[in-house]
Amino acid sequence: MRVMIADDAVLFREGLGRVLEAGGIQVAAQAGDAERLLALVRADPPDAVVVDIRMPPTHTREGLDAAQRIRAEHPQIGVLVLSQYVEPHHAMQLLEDGTSGVGYLLKDRVADVAEVVDAVRRVAGGGSVIDPEVVAQLLGRRRTRDPLQELTERERQVLALMAEGRSNQAISERLYLSPKTVEGHVRSIFTRLDLHAAPDDHRRVLAVLAFLRP
Amino acid sequence: MNPRLRLALALAAVVAGLVNVALLLWAGDDRGESLAYLLITIVGVGWSFVGAGLVAWSRRPENRTGALMVAVGLAQLLNGLLFNGVILAREPVAFVLWFLLATLPEGVLGHLIAVFPDGRATTRLQRFFIIANYAATVPLALVQLLLVEPGRLGCTDCPNDILGLGGRDRYGDVVLAVSDLSLAVLTALLLWIVVTRWRHAAEPRRRSLAPVALVGIVLLIVYMTGQTLKAVLPDPPLVLEVGFNLAILMALVLWPLAFLAGLARTRLDRSAVGDLAVQLDEALPPGRLEQVLARALHDPTLQLAYWLADRDAFVDAAGHPVELPAADSDRAATILRHDGAPVAAMLHDAALDDDPALVRAVAATARMTIENERLQAEVRAQLEEVRASRARIVEFGDAERRRVERNLHDGAQQRLVSISLALGIARSQVGATSEQEMAVALDDAAAELRLALGELRELARGIHPVILSEAGLGPALVSLAERSPIPVTVTAVPPKRLPSRVEETAYYVASEALANAAKHAHATAVSISARRLEGQLLVEVGDDGIGGADPDGSGLRGLADRVAALDGHLRVHSPDGKGTRITAELPCGS
Repeated sequence: MRVMIADDAVLFREGLGRVLEAGGIQVAAQAGDAERLLALVRADPPDAVVVDIRMPPTHTREGLDAAQRIRAEHPQIGVLVLSQYVEPHHAMQLLEDGTSGVGYLLKDRVADVAEVVDAVRRVAGGGSVIDPEVVAQLLGRRRTRDPLQELTERERQVLALMAEGRSNQAISERLYLSPKTVEGHVRSIFTRLDLHAAPDDHRRVLAVLAFLRP
Repeated sequence: MNPRLRLALALAAVVAGLVNVALLLWAGDDRGESLAYLLITIVGVGWSFVGAGLVAWSRRPENRTGALMVAVGLAQLLNGLLFNGVILAREPVAFVLWFLLATLPEGVLGHLIAVFPDGRATTRLQRFFIIANYAATVPLALVQLLLVEPGRLGCTDCPNDILGLGGRDRYGDVVLAVSDLSLAVLTALLLWIVVTRWRHAAEPRRRSLAPVALVGIVLLIVYMTGQTLKAVLPDPPLVLEVGFNLAILMALVLWPLAFLAGLARTRLDRSAVGDLAVQLDEALPPGRLEQVLARALHDPTLQLAYWLADRDAFVDAAGHPVELPAADSDRAATILRHDGAPVAAMLHDAALDDDPALVRAVAATARMTIENERLQAEVRAQLEEVRASRARIVEFGDAERRRVERNLHDGAQQRLVSISLALGIARSQVGATSEQEMAVALDDAAAELRLALGELRELARGIHPVILSEAGLGPALVSLAERSPIPVTVTAVPPKRLPSRVEETAYYVASEALANAAKHAHATAVSISARRLEGQLLVEVGDDGIGGADPDGSGLRGLADRVAALDGHLRVHSPDGKGTRITAELPCGS
């Protein structure tokens, strides 16, 4: 698997490169800004790109814009956006263009080799990855009438993992449950929250997040 | 009613005077004193007071001074009639009647002096004096008649049982001593009242007190000198005695004119208005208007206060708030209006209220200039407010920087130091410990690092939320709502981006209001809306908390300052127990 990395901090790029290499992922190229990344991608499309959201020249949302352009130009390339801060708003923007092959992670996660490699593999494979912190913020929101109160503790755990973009398989592994049990929980959640069942692992992310952030 | 009453009193005085003259002439040598002396003390003084009093009364009907002067004169004339009655009738009854009323003229005169020039008592001391003073007239005379031997009171022919009581003079010495003492106390009290009045009086009041005081002092000095001479020279030369008597009589007759003059002097000179108009025509330096008006009204204590409609209060030329005097104090206020709305107030000595027409004339003449000064005062007040708010903003900025520094120092920096220490220890133990122990040490360092990163993230968000500049007010408000410890509904957000200053201020209003709702108001639900409305961004934050928010507390004050910096308005509606609604109107261009 080949990935390209874009971040204006050389030290971070190198470090992330070594982490990915250690996870068996080939780093095809590194870029210091969004323009360079786009050029590299066009020249030789990789399986996935990892971009920092804040890059030169304005250090605001260059990475986000680059991600959206890459997804428009090369839908087959997985895009993982990293950010020093995570905002549900950004996650929603990324997902609105399509939920497959997109991810949004807190930059701190790169410290966990397994987690970042897993995330890159998932987006490269067409899955979606949403940072647990985004999900935590959405689930933690105080509401006057909270439909989440109607869920059981287990169901809330399943809901959170769904919102992170995990598949039923991944959820069952995480929670040490049988895939059948997980399916049951998912059906129950959709019924209780009055959501239309979305059997597709990827598209249900948006349904769940949209429910949490109307 | 009043003119007829005055005519009747005038006629009564004339008749009483003439009858007195006739009786005095008829009585001949029996009267005991020289005819001239009696004519002057009775008829001269009586007519003088009545005449001057009637003039004062007709000029200033609302001031009781004139009526009191008439009363003094009439009492004196009545006293004369009774005195003549005593001489002619030689009856104890006549003596009793005369004796009862003999001190009434002095009583009314004391009253007149005590309340001059207002014509009414304004202090408790004055009221006490007036009552005590009247008690020392008829009631005291009655006590004396009852308890003192008539001979000692001046009736040598009267029998001892004049009022049907025999064997008296048991208390005579005591009663006479107490009478003398109380008269001395009353005189001292009256002097005290006059002196205090003079000391506390402003220019206008002194102008009216002066003639009365002057004649009074002359009277006192002449009388005292005469008494001293009598004591020193047992047999004074006739010239001296006649001279002193004449001086006292002249002063007594002239005194009413002094009262009249004093009263007239509070009617200030109308030419002041003309002079004022000329002075106002020249450009006045700021603040001089007050002095010019003070001169025109002869009241150096005069103060101008300007009305500020947006503050609903009067302020002085420097922009400081001014309280209007209470209704019954020494100070009075004349409020100047333009189209019914207050423009300014002149605060002056209450004595000027005796001539409201002149004060009005002066005020009307000065109105344009006052209006002009008011605008200047308004500008100065605004400037002062801007200065204060600028100072507060700077102070707030400093405090905020200190807070950030403290948080960095106590939080992230502290953690980084301990991570550095942990890594140093791990490095020194390479090869000395097992790989497993090394992994634990490194994991601990990594965990500490995650906490430091989290703290830095929160701190940075507190300084400036990235989402606001990156995505705009709407997403930032939703994010704010999602992080709030109490349920928040965002009901409206502007569909488009706005100038960053507007977005930041709006966000700040919402986050501060939300923090207040959570921290102080014990709210259980908050709603936030931000809408474009006619070139303005209207930010409303309402909660269902306990209300009673203090708009001058540091938090809301800071909000108001930030909103004012954009020329916006902040309103806080926070009735007790009815929740709090904070509304900010922010101009945002087109």
